[in-house]
Amino acid sequence: MKNPTPTKVLEALAIIAITGLTATPLALLAARSLAQSWYWPSLTPQVWSVRAWKYVFSPTADVLPALATSLSVAMVVTLFAVIVALPAARVLAWEEFRAKRAVIFALLLPVLTPPLAATMGVHALFLRYGLTDTLIGVALSHLTLTVPYATLMLTGSFSRLDPDYEAQARTLGAKTIDVWRSVTFPAIAPGLAVAASFAFLISWSQYLTTLLIGGARIVTLPLTLVAFQWGRR
Amino acid sequence: MKTIKKKHLFAQLLFSTFGALLFSQTLIGCGNTAPSSRSALTAEQFSRSRWDAVIEQANGGEINFAMWSGDEARNRYYQNTVAAKVKQQYGVTLRFLPTNDVADIVNKLLNEKGAGKTSGGTIDLVWINGENFRTAKQGGVLWGPFAEALPNIKHFAEDARQRDFGTLVEGYEAPYQRAQFVIAYDTARAPDPPRSIEKLREWIKTHPGRFTYLAPPDFTGSAFIRHILLFYLKRDSTGGAFDGKFDEQRYQRAAAATVAYLNEIKPHLWRKGETYPTSPKEADRLFANSEIDFTMSYGPSFASEHIARGEYPPTTRTFVFGEGTIGNYSYLAVPFNASNPAGALVVINHLMSPPHSLDQGRALGSLFPLLPDGLTTEERAAVVALPLGPATLPAAELAKHQLSEPDAQYLERLEKDWREKVLKQ
Amino acid sequence: MLLNFTVRRWLMLAPALAVIGVLFAGGLALAAAQSLGYFAPTGENALTLRHYVSLVDDREIYASLWLTLKLATAATMISAVAGSALALGLREVARRSRTINLLLQIPLSVPHLAMAGALITVIAPSGLLARGAYALGFIQQPADFPAFINDRYGAGIVLSYVLKEAPFIALMTLALLARLGDEYEQAARVLGASAWQRFRHVTLPLVAPAVVSSSLMVFAFIFGAFEVPFILGRPFPAMLSVVAQQRYLDVNLAVRPGAIALAVVSALVTAALAWAYMRLTRALIGLERPFVL
Repeated sequence: MKNPTPTKVLEALAIIAITGLTATPLALLAARSLAQSWYWPSLTPQVWSVRAWKYVFSPTADVLPALATSLSVAMVVTLFAVIVALPAARVLAWEEFRAKRAVIFALLLPVLTPPLAATMGVHALFLRYGLTDTLIGVALSHLTLTVPYATLMLTGSFSRLDPDYEAQARTLGAKTIDVWRSVTFPAIAPGLAVAASFAFLISWSQYLTTLLIGGARIVTLPLTLVAFQWGRR
Repeated sequence: MKTIKKKHLFAQLLFSTFGALLFSQTLIGCGNTAPSSRSALTAEQFSRSRWDAVIEQANGGEINFAMWSGDEARNRYYQNTVAAKVKQQYGVTLRFLPTNDVADIVNKLLNEKGAGKTSGGTIDLVWINGENFRTAKQGGVLWGPFAEALPNIKHFAEDARQRDFGTLVEGYEAPYQRAQFVIAYDTARAPDPPRSIEKLREWIKTHPGRFTYLAPPDFTGSAFIRHILLFYLKRDSTGGAFDGKFDEQRYQRAAAATVAYLNEIKPHLWRKGETYPTSPKEADRLFANSEIDFTMSYGPSFASEHIARGEYPPTTRTFVFGEGTIGNYSYLAVPFNASNPAGALVVINHLMSPPHSLDQGRALGSLFPLLPDGLTTEERAAVVALPLGPATLPAAELAKHQLSEPDAQYLERLEKDWREKVLKQ
Repeated sequence: MLLNFTVRRWLMLAPALAVIGVLFAGGLALAAAQSLGYFAPTGENALTLRHYVSLVDDREIYASLWLTLKLATAATMISAVAGSALALGLREVARRSRTINLLLQIPLSVPHLAMAGALITVIAPSGLLARGAYALGFIQQPADFPAFINDRYGAGIVLSYVLKEAPFIALMTLALLARLGDEYEQAARVLGASAWQRFRHVTLPLVAPAVVSSSLMVFAFIFGAFEVPFILGRPFPAMLSVVAQQRYLDVNLAVRPGAIALAVVSALVTAALAWAYMRLTRALIGLERPFVL
């Protein structure tokens, strides 16, 4: 059966939109990083140069160590967030109970609140408990934002999995760990991947939190870049 | 079944890698948090110490310097040349914390003080001045006093040592670099720039849409409107000559005139004055792309640096008003909970020395900040021989047209009045 | 299972709630305490409502609130429509290849500031579009080009967020569509429903949960964000979080509790709007649980 025309048009438009959306910002950013002089009214840079890239990878810019730190922090955060989110998401997806609305709201709280107030408060709290200037402290501070997103996404994954499958597997004699490996995990794997990558991205791009909590010891990529990009004294 | 097995094997591998990395990072993280085991020098101990004892205590230590890092050339110079020099001469390892805005650092210190973290701080040295210094001093987050006891303090002018934006320094920060407000223009677009505040007003009216200034509280924008205020403060002969101190009546009169001036030029500004650029990077972009014909900065060599990087057209030059422009100093301070104050003091003193100032002048085009009296003949000759960029005004010219910063209260009041009476109209 | 269901349920929720309760709520309580007068940076430590009261008389707050509401709503609605259209359009393609999901994640990984920067390069009065217009002789100087950034309507801000959030909403919706399959629509077609009827009565209600919940997150995010509005907006009126941020960082420490009070009020407004939006969509689309993803 052939697809009706409106759908085909929509599909074509969508593909164009998504390719444009992904390619254009990247192309522009790449062009800007390679352009030494690119001002009005010239449509292409007047002077090209790899100077910016050379600087970024030089030892001075500290970009590579910052990259490594960003990577470690983000991975630790992702792992923690997913471990914490999995059981919670399972409950939210499969069970009904009176306090459910309140729990969802509580989980949404960090997402809804303007980051400023929460960050300053979290910093004061961490100071009292000696969590500042440590990798673990920074990772924990990122958790407040990543756990809600991860939980909500995994709730979606779980809600599309029928709990009966697990029950059946158990009736057939499978142990809990086998149920997880053969039934649950494969079913939620795509959603898990999305949730994990989201948590990773959020942790990766934190600036203010990392600055406050990490101090001078934990220097991540956004710190190095922000100081560059929007310098004001 | 096979595909599932492969998938979950891969996932297991991924998770175990995470786990291993997590474990190792925890270990490394723990290692990193141990602050230096030597006990931190207190201000009291310092006041009783001899300078060579301080140098000795600093030897072998490490300090973290929160220095504004938005400039590649500066970063390169400090991280390579300066760090090497400091290591070689004093045995101190200099590390840098990338800083966008020193206000963030001051905030961090205030939070730390509030939570009782009075030692083992991760920042040993801060580049600071003006309002941020006032906030920090008021909040009690600075170590000191120390500045007057440093050997190289004698090279700096009295007024720099006494007051910073009108706030009493009292030894809590040491002067280190000098700056003066200059205005850049493109000779190709505006061959004859208006060299006084009144001429500027005329120029703006005859060239609508070609001028704007940064919105306070941006540092540079705030400086621009302060020039206009200073202009009216000095013209006001009621009650004697202006002495820089804050006076409510004087302020009211001058502010009224300033607000009138700014509102008068407003409809002739870029975008009809409905919006203003909010960061220097934005102003740079507008200037380089011919949206506006002037831009400003506190760094006399900023235009030359931009030309060298290809960011400004090579025909750019700078000028100062005939009435003069405001010059000020930036300072170095030590946080109250610094882990290695001795090391910080040694570095501060080094950065205040004639050899360093000359070297930085050669490398970055920075304005030479020291008094000529304390210099040797060779050093004085070297100052004269410092290279200038194509758009940098000579030091003598700048000195002839230098004004001092009025009291910081003028700044605060004016910023508020600007917001209420100019921006929101 | 030895543990009864309720105990097990709360044990499983415990880690997530602990993270929120301890790490987040604890921090927030501390900040809120400051807005109520405790732990003031100027030294006072007593309950007072004056920081909140002072917000009432502040003309700037109302202008900011109105602007923030307008822009956040506009950006969210456009993102929701564009995102769902994108998802519906890519549905077939997504079934055939996994790369679409990957492609959608690319705009998500571009930081907001970078997207804003790329936008400036294109639509600024001296940007690429303007330079093209100049090359074609339509304009003589940047000032002749229409203003899309730092403008009265916040067009640049809206566009910047749409470019990043529409793919996000599309991603969430596609995930839901992938699981649902097209059995319902096939059944409707077999029963004689037209394309429009299928869309309005089957497809739309099916994707609504994903669109609604992701739109809520987008709205809340935009409402509280400040870097992009700072770069692409005007100094006055500025979006609420920009105002709060600037006040928080004011050199005059006495202003700070007021800034926190503003942030708290802002959070409450967002929560109230989210609640209202949920009730509204439930009424319009007749869903039982509009918030299940």
